[in-house]
Amino acid sequence: MTDYNSESSDPSKGVKRTNMGEDGTKDSKRIKTANGDEQYNPYLAHTYEDSSSQQNGFKSPLDQLERHNTTALQMTKAEDGERNPWTGEPHSQQYFKILQSRRDLPVHKQRQEFLDTYHSTQILVFVGETGSGKTTQIPQYVLFDELPFQTGKLIACTQPRRVAAMSVAQRVANELDVKLGEEVGYSIRFENKTGPKTMLKYMTDGQLLREAMHDHDMTRYSCIILDEAHERTLATDILMALLKQIAARRKDLKIIVMSATLDAQKFQSYFYNAPLLAVPGRTHPVEIFYTPEPERDYVEASVRTVLQIHATEPEGDILLFLTGEEEIEDACRRISLEVDDMIRESDAGPMRVYPLYGTLPPAQQQRIFDKAPEPLRKGGRPGRKCIVSTNIAETSLTIDGIVYVVDPGFSKQKIYNPRSRVESLLVSPISKASAQQRAGRAGRTRPGKCFRLYTEKAFKKELIEQTYPEILRSNLANTVLELKKLGVEDLVHFDLMDPPAPETMMRALEELNYLACLDDDGELTKLGSLASEFPLDPAVAVMLISSPEFYCSNEMLSITSLLSVPSIWIRPNNARKRADEMKAQFAHPDGDHLTLLNAYHAFKGAEQQGTDMKQWCHEHFLSFRHLSSADNVRAQLKRIMETHDIELISTPFQDKNYYINIRRALLAGFFMQVAMRESSNSKVYKTVKDDQLVMIHPSTVVTSPYDWVVYNEFVLTTKQYVRTVTNIRPEWLLEIAPVYYDVDTFEKGEIKSALSRVTEKVRRRQAIKGSGR
Amino acid sequence: MDTPAGSQVDVDVNVDVDADDDYDEVPLQHKRPFGSGLHRKTVAFVPASDGDGCLNSTDQVTAPKTQQVDVADLYLSMVLPKDNKTTKNAVNVGEPGAVICEVCRLPLESEPASAGSSDVDNTTTATSKTDGKKVHEKSFAHQVCLPHSYPPSALDRSRMGLSYLSQYGWDPDARKGLGAAEQGITFPIKATPKYSNLGVGVHVPKNLPPPKEKKERLLDAGKVRKQARKDKHKAEIIRQQLFGNQDLEKYLGQGAVR
Repeated sequence: MTDYNSESSDPSKGVKRTNMGEDGTKDSKRIKTANGDEQYNPYLAHTYEDSSSQQNGFKSPLDQLERHNTTALQMTKAEDGERNPWTGEPHSQQYFKILQSRRDLPVHKQRQEFLDTYHSTQILVFVGETGSGKTTQIPQYVLFDELPFQTGKLIACTQPRRVAAMSVAQRVANELDVKLGEEVGYSIRFENKTGPKTMLKYMTDGQLLREAMHDHDMTRYSCIILDEAHERTLATDILMALLKQIAARRKDLKIIVMSATLDAQKFQSYFYNAPLLAVPGRTHPVEIFYTPEPERDYVEASVRTVLQIHATEPEGDILLFLTGEEEIEDACRRISLEVDDMIRESDAGPMRVYPLYGTLPPAQQQRIFDKAPEPLRKGGRPGRKCIVSTNIAETSLTIDGIVYVVDPGFSKQKIYNPRSRVESLLVSPISKASAQQRAGRAGRTRPGKCFRLYTEKAFKKELIEQTYPEILRSNLANTVLELKKLGVEDLVHFDLMDPPAPETMMRALEELNYLACLDDDGELTKLGSLASEFPLDPAVAVMLISSPEFYCSNEMLSITSLLSVPSIWIRPNNARKRADEMKAQFAHPDGDHLTLLNAYHAFKGAEQQGTDMKQWCHEHFLSFRHLSSADNVRAQLKRIMETHDIELISTPFQDKNYYINIRRALLAGFFMQVAMRESSNSKVYKTVKDDQLVMIHPSTVVTSPYDWVVYNEFVLTTKQYVRTVTNIRPEWLLEIAPVYYDVDTFEKGEIKSALSRVTEKVRRRQAIKGSGR
Repeated sequence: MDTPAGSQVDVDVNVDVDADDDYDEVPLQHKRPFGSGLHRKTVAFVPASDGDGCLNSTDQVTAPKTQQVDVADLYLSMVLPKDNKTTKNAVNVGEPGAVICEVCRLPLESEPASAGSSDVDNTTTATSKTDGKKVHEKSFAHQVCLPHSYPPSALDRSRMGLSYLSQYGWDPDARKGLGAAEQGITFPIKATPKYSNLGVGVHVPKNLPPPKEKKERLLDAGKVRKQARKDKHKAEIIRQQLFGNQDLEKYLGQGAVR
């Protein structure tokens, strides 16, 4: 492919660009003079265009096609051609190899059927189990039918996860034999890899929602594909409701909703009984086993089950579902130890155990695709691998070779309680649909087995049918702000598939009202409109926007970026003490936010001196990956701030108010996340207005017991913790958020009396000042 | 009746009857606050000549009910509009022609109370009919058939979020959710934190006695000494196993290395 890049490609690319951008008239004039063509027909502009590209000796088969009237045969012909129909370049060798495997996918057999249905309807529901190839193939089928160069409109395909959007875009770029970021691109939060030639765009569902805020009718797109709709993420749910509205306004917009599970009837009836097309996946039967009695300890039982499988079942890899990082690491350790014993005692085969969870570094995540180990000696028992995973292996990640699935029946789920305003991750029983999905993972390569660590009766009676969609389990402040910006005023009758509880909606409105993003009548304010421009939580966005008032917008920008990436601190189990010592170097006595800032400044300082940053981070127990992504986020946010003329200023470091300003600026956004100490010599804090009893998370650097702290997040584990805290003064609360801290609105209690004492103090001090003058 | 002697008794009886009536008939909002009449002079009563005191007193109570001048009445009529309607309907049905109650679809005639009252006098059939209706309305079968009315929602009415939602037609007391057909969930999803490793389907009975704490055994001096000797011996064996030199022992004989 590299051979052709130099000369032949450039002119043809140029042609395509003009073709996409303009509406043909100008081009056709040029062509007219060039070819002396007398019968000019604007509707055939693209064929004229084609004649000009003949200069390269290439005539794209696509130019003959009629939009929305293509057949599978025409397309396979176009794909089989010597040259790439999109770029005009000759195909690479690899292309045909991939093409062959693409033709083997189950989806390919139904290509004509898909096209027929697609032509006949505006909205289409497509059901294909994992492994059917829908995510990579359907958008390409649409691409060959929409012929974007004729309309200048794009095709969007949404994914719930960033990683999926990136990797699928890469894969499809390879399949189409184009460069990622040109014809095929992706767009995720804080990263956009698309160009002027992009025709097919993979993106996160949240990203498409953000785009819709500026383009209410999504006029850039001719077809929108919502993939993995069965996961029912918050953004997908909103998009579905929105697209339902837009589809009524824009009859030329096509919508495909793709789901991997068989509850697609719900989607169908939601979209006015849209036609449904189902493609069978490539799955094998899975035998399901239950325990006769409920298990007392599911972790213990799952470890034993894995060992049992290893000892008694034939070759095949094991997938065990557990709930969280700690539990997974613990189970991995226990399994490896036991397997070592088994090898010594009973000549068992080797087994490699891999953990898998979201916060694992990508290099380690990649290890799950390693081959199972070889037998210890020739003719010995076969080796296998065991993957212990959170529910990311349930739908999003597909690991081939899994034959045995162990399902204890739990997962961590986010739940939001609008009364206490606490969003927590709780271990809860999974749903029946989820259990079936897990079992299905065993049948990817050959017939498999699924061991459920609960009784059949429990499966039938205790598990709910479907997992609650995210919209019912989330804080909606951000969503409501986006909806307001999208022009949705009637939040009551907004046609969501599963509308949230009224209380949750009310809470979101009130939160935005306190943040001054909405006025008392619920109208979007200027601040709210500005805040919605930031891909951040409203509170954080407001904090960032108001930071120039506190003369520290540069610093707040850094802190915001650091808070929007996973924790930068590394604390390996075998070097906890060293890690803590290193963290203490950056510690600021007043709080964790400032400590984060110190670490970032040290990082940037070392970078400027030309230090090897990976090494430096390793030495200081900091995550290079997360620090660099924070750096990237910072650059993105900075650009947004600059486009909206938000000043970037700093207090001089020598100024004694340097840190005070930052602490005050934190309150401009986080004034609703403040806790007061219960009593002196107590470690327990009480959150303001929500009255939750919390402790400061042990990861803090704060050592002195401050009376008032602002916190970044509420963590509910065995205890209730607040994480990332910074000391503040109550006077600031009254000054910065007078509406929220109106003493009269508080319920009787310690916090109220403390606040009224502070009010009194402030009043007296002002009186003294006044009399002194 | 003997007035001078029995006056005291009379008053007592009347108070009793009144109290009973209050309990049965007077709605809460019409009740006088307790003790409001204590300082006034008590009014003496005599039982009605009809012999049916109950009827009169209920009529007196129902008279102001129809006027609805009280704020509480107004409120109740707003909160429980259906209830009022059903009683009105029932009164309409109570005309001589209709004999079937509209609410519970049961005949009104076969009430034992109405039969009893008709025994007293033939001329008071109209009053006895309304009375029968009342008894019927009190009957269990009728009560069960009444549409259930819910208390108003506990949401704080001054909340900004509520006013926004009600601006778009959401009624907090209607027990409806959001959505195109107001089909959404009405209450947020609850979850209980799980602190144990108990598997799915394991239910620990709530009133389980707390696990018994193991009592620490106290050791006397002899036991301590015995334990120390044991430990020392164990350590010696381990030491010998780890660091002992067999050749040296052979040469020097057992015990010499120690």
